[in-house]
Amino acid sequence: MKLKKLAALSLAMAAALAFSGCTKQENAPQKSTAEGESTSADAKTTAAQEKGGVTLSFMASQDWIQDAEIELSKKFTQETGIKVDYQIIPSDQYVNLLMTKLNTGECTDIFGAQSGKFDIKAQINVEKNAVDLTKTSWGSQVEPLVADELSVDGKLYGQPIQDVSSVWAIGYNKQIFKKLNLEIPKDYASFQKVCDTIKAAGITPVYECVSDGWHHTLWLPEAGVEAETAEPGIVDKWNNNQVPFKGNATLMTILDQINDMVAKGYWGEDYMSNTYADSAKNIASGKYAMTVANQGFGVEVNKVNPDIAADDIGYFVIPLADNQTLNVNPAGPARFIFSGSKHAAEAQQYLEFLAKEENLKYLTENVGKFNKLPFLNAPSMYTETIQDFYNRYDKKGTVIQTAVKYVNPQWSEMGANLSAMIVGEMTPDEVLASIDEVRAQQAKAAGDPAWK
Amino acid sequence: MNRKKIYPTWFAAGALLLYSVLFVLPGVIGIGYSFTDWSSYSDRLKFVGLENFRTVFSADGNYLKIMKNTLVFTLGTTVIKNILGLALAVLLTKSIRLLNFHRGVMFMPSVLSTLILGMIFTSILNPSTGLLNTFFRGIGLGGLAKPWLTSPVYAFKSVMAVDIWRGTGYIMTILIAGILSISSDYYEACSIDGASGWQKFRFITLPLLLPTLATTTVLNVIYGLKVFDMIYALTNGGPGKATTEVLYTAVFKKFGTGQYAIGTALSSVMFLFMVFIGFFMIRLMTKDEVQE
Repeated sequence: MKLKKLAALSLAMAAALAFSGCTKQENAPQKSTAEGESTSADAKTTAAQEKGGVTLSFMASQDWIQDAEIELSKKFTQETGIKVDYQIIPSDQYVNLLMTKLNTGECTDIFGAQSGKFDIKAQINVEKNAVDLTKTSWGSQVEPLVADELSVDGKLYGQPIQDVSSVWAIGYNKQIFKKLNLEIPKDYASFQKVCDTIKAAGITPVYECVSDGWHHTLWLPEAGVEAETAEPGIVDKWNNNQVPFKGNATLMTILDQINDMVAKGYWGEDYMSNTYADSAKNIASGKYAMTVANQGFGVEVNKVNPDIAADDIGYFVIPLADNQTLNVNPAGPARFIFSGSKHAAEAQQYLEFLAKEENLKYLTENVGKFNKLPFLNAPSMYTETIQDFYNRYDKKGTVIQTAVKYVNPQWSEMGANLSAMIVGEMTPDEVLASIDEVRAQQAKAAGDPAWK
Repeated sequence: MNRKKIYPTWFAAGALLLYSVLFVLPGVIGIGYSFTDWSSYSDRLKFVGLENFRTVFSADGNYLKIMKNTLVFTLGTTVIKNILGLALAVLLTKSIRLLNFHRGVMFMPSVLSTLILGMIFTSILNPSTGLLNTFFRGIGLGGLAKPWLTSPVYAFKSVMAVDIWRGTGYIMTILIAGILSISSDYYEACSIDGASGWQKFRFITLPLLLPTLATTTVLNVIYGLKVFDMIYALTNGGPGKATTEVLYTAVFKKFGTGQYAIGTALSSVMFLFMVFIGFFMIRLMTKDEVQE
């Protein structure tokens, strides 16, 4: 009997010990939230001393935090005493991890997430998870189109991180075009002629990389802006579930023409195993003439091969389905402040610091791919080639993955479908039907009334 | 028998409690979630009965293909790894020169990280710049240079081949231990009776090695059903829709897109697979075990 009692006692003690770690420290002192608005130098020093212990945690996907921002954060620490701890996560795991953290209520003080008015509401649930930033000093400085993608019901929830003026277009080697006497194509027929001439000269017309799973996907939703041009109002109809993607003539044409490009050898032989990381290298080598790229691409090519100047890479919109609408995407990564953060005031201070004119200038000058940050008071550094490209097209349209609900979250699935189409496992019709199906699943899960 | 000397059952209570809380409970909760509409899009959890399982077993989705892929992968790699492993083990228990060196070389691939191996083989099997195709072209056999990982025709076989290459050494090592534990008396007696090498293998080595083979088979099957990193690194389920997709990569993707309920339903199916296959396999393989 004694033994039994002893065992029971030790078990109870072990259980008590094991669970004692789980108690929340609710009575822990919470200071350092009130001093957010001090402005004078004296007050700053005091604040710096008082906040000496505060470290803001900031979680973001790989490539979202630039070295220039980390440099700025050191200046921020000097001024305020608040440190910023960056947690950089591999991009393919980021959304998953962020969602887990938000769902368990244990997110970092600041978190990065892709903007997009539908996604931040349905997926990130900013109304619950993020702090309202409408009344901040910089809130009104965010460019209206970009702010719209960061707002829900007129309230601003995020601060853009990157230049979103850049669009995914066809970057081409001007030297090759000049040598072969080629002009910028204005429709698919002229694009085919360009490709045929380049191919005849022994150069592969287009560098495409299917193995990464995301790059080849761009062709469809980026050139897809043509759908709205061809049939005004179609985007609203898609968002209200009045018509499916399947059967849309523009999208079908784009998919057929992707197949056509592959069949005619415009993508060369190795498109299935090429990688995006090698795209600058391959364009720089002169073996390939064009690739889908954004406007920082010229600088990257120039870095690999100094004989090709950044301005030797020109751009034109993807001319599939005869598209001539500039495909803008006001959505991009943004900083959000977690609503459950104990240091929300300090986090706001950090965002305010980054949005200062001098710091926007510093970021634009020190990050190669930034030409114009989406703030009204940010400087612009477009080169002539890029400015020309933007001016060439009268019409602008928002890309499908931002304009239409439940497309962006299925990007990798769309990529898999498209590669299945390219290898002949699926037809264009089936690809569109599959997008519709996944959209319906997500809409149902989000309780979207249009899908009931 | 002195009953007092046997520990009472409640001595297991502590271990049982820990095991239940840390292993059984999360498992049961996981299976529970597969009957709901759990997703990253909504906070609310609704009971949907067997809907997720209906999706998983419907002909429309790719799920049946994914399950088939998993089973084919498991069966294929298990059989070939065992056969090759056994052949190598028999060879490397003979007295040959540099025995340990040969064993070491064969065992080496199992020591390396699967992800790193995956990346190395992605490069080796690259259709244009890869080592293998460059070699074929170099010796004038350009016709054998194929798009190993990027064509739906070859991708699955290539992935299996890389996995077999990686896992055979490990199986070989276990079988070598099994062979070395067989008493040399049997072989001696056999030799006196005039048995040939094949007869020695057929009537002594193989029967006495069955328990070890049972172990390696179980290990292989469980590994095969759970395979993830190799496929993730080599093809990530591609090319195309689901050429090399297996259950774990599918679960991973479903969680990535926030469709948690379908993800848990798939893992529940996999759990059942494993319990079913594991249970019957162990019973079957230990039925005729030879006791020394």
